Amino acid sequence: MSERLRRLADVLVGYSGRVQPGDLTVIQGTMNVEPLLEELYGAVLRAGGHPAMRCAPEVEALLLDEGSDQQIEWLNPAELEDIEQADVWIVVDAPANTKALTSVDPERQGRVQRARRGWRERYLERALAGELRWVLTGYPTNGAAQDAEMSLAEYEDFIFGAALLDDGDPVARWRAFADELQRVVEFLGSKEELRFVAEGTDLTFAVGGDRKWIAADGHENFPDGEVFTAPLDESAEGEITFTFPAVFSGRQVDDVHLRFHQGEVVEATASSGEDFLREMVALDEGARRVGELAFGLNEAVRVFTRNILFDEKIGGTMHLALGSAYSECGGTNRSALHWDMICDLRSGGEVYADGELVYRDGRFLL
Amino acid sequence: MRDPRVARLGELVVNYSLGLQPGKVLRIDAPPVSAPLAIEIYRAALAAGAHPYVDLQLERLPELLLAEANDEQLEYVSPIALAELEFVDAIVTIWSESNTRALTHADPERHQRLISASQQLAKRRWQRMSAGELSWLGVLFPTEAHAQDAQMSLAEYERFVFRACHVEEPGDPVAHWQGVREELRSRAEALAEARELRIVGPGTDLKVGVEGRRWQPADGRYNMPDGEVYTSPLETVTEGEISFAFPALFHGREVTGIQLRFEDGAVVETQATRGQEHLEAMLDMDDGARRLGEVAFGLNYEIDRFTQNTLFDEKIGGTMHVALGSAFTDLGGLNESALHWDLVCDLREDGEVYADGELVWQAGRFLETATPARV
Repeated sequence: MSERLRRLADVLVGYSGRVQPGDLTVIQGTMNVEPLLEELYGAVLRAGGHPAMRCAPEVEALLLDEGSDQQIEWLNPAELEDIEQADVWIVVDAPANTKALTSVDPERQGRVQRARRGWRERYLERALAGELRWVLTGYPTNGAAQDAEMSLAEYEDFIFGAALLDDGDPVARWRAFADELQRVVEFLGSKEELRFVAEGTDLTFAVGGDRKWIAADGHENFPDGEVFTAPLDESAEGEITFTFPAVFSGRQVDDVHLRFHQGEVVEATASSGEDFLREMVALDEGARRVGELAFGLNEAVRVFTRNILFDEKIGGTMHLALGSAYSECGGTNRSALHWDMICDLRSGGEVYADGELVYRDGRFLL
Repeated sequence: MRDPRVARLGELVVNYSLGLQPGKVLRIDAPPVSAPLAIEIYRAALAAGAHPYVDLQLERLPELLLAEANDEQLEYVSPIALAELEFVDAIVTIWSESNTRALTHADPERHQRLISASQQLAKRRWQRMSAGELSWLGVLFPTEAHAQDAQMSLAEYERFVFRACHVEEPGDPVAHWQGVREELRSRAEALAEARELRIVGPGTDLKVGVEGRRWQPADGRYNMPDGEVYTSPLETVTEGEISFAFPALFHGREVTGIQLRFEDGAVVETQATRGQEHLEAMLDMDDGARRLGEVAFGLNYEIDRFTQNTLFDEKIGGTMHVALGSAFTDLGGLNESALHWDLVCDLREDGEVYADGELVWQAGRFLETATPARV
């Protein structure tokens, strides 16, 4: 484990974050990921950077339970300093208990999301301007393994496998994978319209004009492996059934079915968690539109583990996100929400680009 | 499961020590091993209407920094850390450790440079504290490592710590500490009359000038537990010798059997049975490291034994301590240094203290009054 953690830290610092001498590098995580935080600290030092540790206990449930509205909406200026001053920002996300927020009033969670919207926009803005390189990664905890219905040892193998770390030279593997993703981006870049067809799904998007496809190749998420864009705001038309549970902010919603008309959700149903789904869709103006459309292409991620970082990369799936769009794709939709939901296309799914079948059963027909 | 003693300590820290007001920003600096106390302080701060956040200090990072950093990295001060110091209204430092000797083998010269670099932050913190803009408190959550240093089981050590803070039993710890505040305040007023103190004990005969300096009652606002009165002595007057019966720990290194001889305020001769090299390295840190920045009486009689931890040892009822290095400017002290190293001198058996020639303290007690009821 410790040898793998060291390799993970080296790839995160050297490949994902590209830490250069003198770079102020914020390392953020919770108490239960201490071993990886320590490895990252050492790796940043060896790269000549200045590590700044930002480690906290998991007090969000306590804050939401006992804090006033004013306290839960408070924005810590220290976090703003991190966003404004960091050259590199490495976030390790691995809660000890992924369901700790289940009984929190959705309205209060909505308040927190809205309050933090400005920060999210600010770090994306600095990232777009090339001033900040950020990367989000996971870590094997019992809580995450439990969600994935695996033992901790099995889950470690899963994570390090998805990160392509068990090879001699993980950085070379990631560079080769990045080239593959780039070819998909170039192919999709020439298309105007995509239509997704599967059981319970027939949904069409416009993706042409000033919109760009981007290869997610291990720089902002790690592990990684998807291509994504922002569809035209008013283009989503049709319906979609998400085959995997949709998980957001510690809440799970099952069998989500959405119907779109002129880009907006006009019907949202679920077999459980429907109230939370509706609360989030109504969060603000942009929350009912699609901010992101993507293909998961990491073939080392095969199974659903209830962690969006991994699930959205499952090879053979597509996902869309309700809410904010990435401006580097040319997206304009703004929202405090960004909720990724995943649809498995591996058995019977089809995608048509400008009327032509280009993808079937989870693979491009390139 | 919540330990009610830890919950009481959290409330005491927030409501008595810091007197935290609604809307104020509190940063809790704590190692992961002290998380139960950090979370109780966080909870009490929420109840007080404040905005708390916890900044966990991973214990292995200083060792990694000392081992891996180049000179520029070692001396780097983060602009984020500097910016934070400008907006926080209160800081709690939880000093707990999982291993109090983790840095025993670190390079003393590099270690000293790391401490010097952190002075930029420490100085700004003191400035804001002196201006009354920032309140700060140091506290300890009992761990196996501290219990081991104290030669106790964890359960015994927990009782020792919580008794010293007066939160072991249900009751009103705030009322207790308000009483301590009154006692120590009158003690400090009495000491302010003295021009010179002479401390006599085993291997000790030291004269310290205190004329014109203010004595401060340490009543639980900066440390918890607390219970001392202290000042910063005149910088060029200290004369004679002093022996420290207790081993002195500084940044994870132990020095035992320390004897110091002072002339014109500065250390001119040192002896230690163990750790002499570390002692010399600390004294050579800068010009101020050879002079006293503090002299104090320990008056918490609920702390009755040495546990190898300054937070407690310097308050042992019946001891005195002096600190080499930085002085308290708000008490009239002028000495500047990156060092502030408290050394405790046990006066409970044979000790005597004379104020301007008059015997005022004998065998661990002030003479003119009976044992203070509360401290």
